[in-house]
Amino acid sequence: MKNFSIITIVFLFFLASGVKALEPEKILIQNATVITASDSQVLEKTDLLIESGFIADIGSNLVAVDAIQIDASNKIITPGLIAPHSQLGLMEIQLERETRDDSTKNYSAGFSIVNAFNPSSTLIPYNRSGGITSAIVVPSSAKKIFSGMASAFKLDGELGSDNISKDIAMAISIGAGSDSRASQILMLEDTFNKAIRYYDSKDQYLPLADFNYDDHTVRDLEAILKVLSKDIPLIVRSNRATDLLRIITVAKQYDINIIFHGAKEAWRIADILAEEDIPVILDPMDNIPSSFDSIAARMDNAYLLNKAGVKILITSQNTHNSYLSRQGAGNAVAHGLPENEALKALTANVAEVFGFSELGTIEVGKIADLVIWDGNPLEVSSFATTVIIDGKQVSPISRSNRLRDRYMKKLGLQ
Amino acid sequence: MKIKKKLPLLLVVSFLCILIINCTNNDSEPNEQNQAYQSTYQPKPSESILILNARVLTGVGTELENTSILMENNKIAAVGEITVDTDVKVIDAGGKWITPGIIDIHSHMGVYPAPGLRSNSDGNEATSPVTPHVWAEHSVWTHDPQFTLALKGGITTFHVLPGSANLIGGRGVTLKNVRSVTVQGMKFPDAPYTLKMACGENPKRVYGNRNQEPSTQMANVAGYRQAWIDAQNYMKKAEDSRDDRKRDLAMETLSGVLKGEILIQNHCYRGEEMAVMLDIAKEFNYKITAFHHAIEAYKVADLLADQGVCAAMWADWWGFKHEAFDMVWSNVAMVDQAENKTGCAIVHSDSAVGTQHLNQEAAKARAAGIRAGMSISKARAIQWITLNPAKALGISERVGSLEVGKMADLVIWDGDPFSVFSKAEKVFIDGHLKFDAESEVSFERTDFDLGIIDPEESRL
Repeated sequence: MKNFSIITIVFLFFLASGVKALEPEKILIQNATVITASDSQVLEKTDLLIESGFIADIGSNLVAVDAIQIDASNKIITPGLIAPHSQLGLMEIQLERETRDDSTKNYSAGFSIVNAFNPSSTLIPYNRSGGITSAIVVPSSAKKIFSGMASAFKLDGELGSDNISKDIAMAISIGAGSDSRASQILMLEDTFNKAIRYYDSKDQYLPLADFNYDDHTVRDLEAILKVLSKDIPLIVRSNRATDLLRIITVAKQYDINIIFHGAKEAWRIADILAEEDIPVILDPMDNIPSSFDSIAARMDNAYLLNKAGVKILITSQNTHNSYLSRQGAGNAVAHGLPENEALKALTANVAEVFGFSELGTIEVGKIADLVIWDGNPLEVSSFATTVIIDGKQVSPISRSNRLRDRYMKKLGLQ
Repeated sequence: MKIKKKLPLLLVVSFLCILIINCTNNDSEPNEQNQAYQSTYQPKPSESILILNARVLTGVGTELENTSILMENNKIAAVGEITVDTDVKVIDAGGKWITPGIIDIHSHMGVYPAPGLRSNSDGNEATSPVTPHVWAEHSVWTHDPQFTLALKGGITTFHVLPGSANLIGGRGVTLKNVRSVTVQGMKFPDAPYTLKMACGENPKRVYGNRNQEPSTQMANVAGYRQAWIDAQNYMKKAEDSRDDRKRDLAMETLSGVLKGEILIQNHCYRGEEMAVMLDIAKEFNYKITAFHHAIEAYKVADLLADQGVCAAMWADWWGFKHEAFDMVWSNVAMVDQAENKTGCAIVHSDSAVGTQHLNQEAAKARAAGIRAGMSISKARAIQWITLNPAKALGISERVGSLEVGKMADLVIWDGDPFSVFSKAEKVFIDGHLKFDAESEVSFERTDFDLGIIDPEESRL
């Protein structure tokens, strides 16, 4: 417990020092088992040198006397986990509308959440101490089929911290609801067509400041043009195998990039997804046939997709516990997914699919977003002991620890 | 240990129990007198099965290595070093682990089945805040495919509750995870009835939104107290003029609680609310058996331990409501260790996904306790999902641990059940193999699972 109080003091100092970010530290981590999530896979008894926010060196017997030394014997290092689909930073309490910024009635496709992200959200320390270092934050509006635009953020909790990348994907959802799925797909096509007509007649209409094209604002149509020009992918939340096939047809017709999300029946079309190179964001534990869209849900969806050659990104469906994607990955392994593939589905695959070439793996020259674990990172009993973001150790404290320590004392358990 | 054929005696004993229960229930309600709604579940006699060389978490707080278990006539017949002279079926469980069948004390399977449809969302009678007259068992859809998913996760017994829209939501029912067209055929024989009560946000949100009482915590409390006053009056009246007594389903349930026959299962998140509920129980002289969801149980863990009230908890859920905001990862461990380790901690699911991995939830809760500096063995932590829920359901004489004479409900795991990588390999209920990861012979699918994806195939 002594360690915690020292860390608390450091943390308080950190708070007292205001919003200014600490300078990147020079850190030498020694004797670790390094799961690189890259081609070099797992390195035993390895040292890592972190300098100026980047991984400066990987090897054995590295020396850096002026660096903070961390002994990681019997510990495991992985790249920082990237939550591929959450509302982190946009929500405090799910049922309290005024604590949420993840939806709007005013925009559809072009709803960008970037200005709402709150780095001081209480959810961030919980998830950071669970090993998440950055997150793809996706709105959950439901204006017809459109949710809006996703952006990516670091979870360093620093007030001034900016997004990693803004408006990097558009999210829609198609499936069972009050409106026919056929109508939803027609609407997608119609919206694409409107955006194209808007583009063709832009010069004519743009001067009219409040121009709205049916129920889409200029912002919405501009966003759709980004999808149509393949600047950004379209994340499609959908579960039924036939829906996935129809959406693939539309995607080919308009020549756009798509990523499936949910995709509980994706295993049924695994070969096609592999052939078309369509990544899938999924929660491997979600095997409930919860609607007639997901009758074929099963526990080995992740394994079957990976086996067929589909790139999988593992998510938790619960934003508050985004870090439980690890448990999903562990369960996928229990049902056949190779461990290294599971780890990549939490790190490298997410970085690759969303185009963050400096994140997701442990390699010299990459950004030092790292987690040191007290055991196998896919095991439910393991936990992060140190989390490093941009080369800086971040606080492992959350309200959960503070409450725990207060009541441990009151109960005489400490 | 040598096996002695104890079965005839056991049968006599259980027969006596039934007689005794019937004898002592002379003044109980009509449906209990004429056996209506009672369990019709009767396992067929099982063959003798000897499981060898397993690592056993007994459920009574011990971990035994290289241990054998004999199941005979639906019961655990022996645990330890066993030599048998008769012909028995032998299963070598070398390198494997055995636990008692897992018990989930908080489930809505059957009343909120999959697929979730308007026509089968039968868990909340949200038309009035006090509905002790409804019984969850009358809502159970017995073909819910979630039952067999839970079975694959080692769940042998589960407790189905009405939802939490109401202050007093109705009776819960304890079911064995066996396939039966009738809910009576799933009912755990002679398990006590339970009554679902709910604190906090849900009732006041559901009714407050309709501009109806309760819309505040204080009206919640007034609502519970008024219901118990009504129940007391009903009981008094019944004593005064027995002949004029009109049947009243709501009052039959509430008076069952006041007579100590029906166990209170109380959805309640906050420390201060649990303390108020304990005072209501004091005012009307009934017992709260368990608080469910109990996110803040750690704040009143001493109070709960002192009063012998269990807390059923998640390992890490939080943040979906304000009352679920103060989650600590070591909640379960703190409740368990409170007051010199006299606390009664239970890990529950409230989720058709979570129930399939209740062992992992216990593993996370134990690991959090260890991280907080508490020392908790696997032998103790397994009780959070076996013996402790059995106690809180009033069935611990028959399930929850691997003791001679108990129902032969057990799980053979392909590895340490506290690991995410381990799976239930064989699940026995009353000595019958109900799920076998290596063979489909004994696995009985729900009606729903037949031909639902492909007319000629089964789902999973």
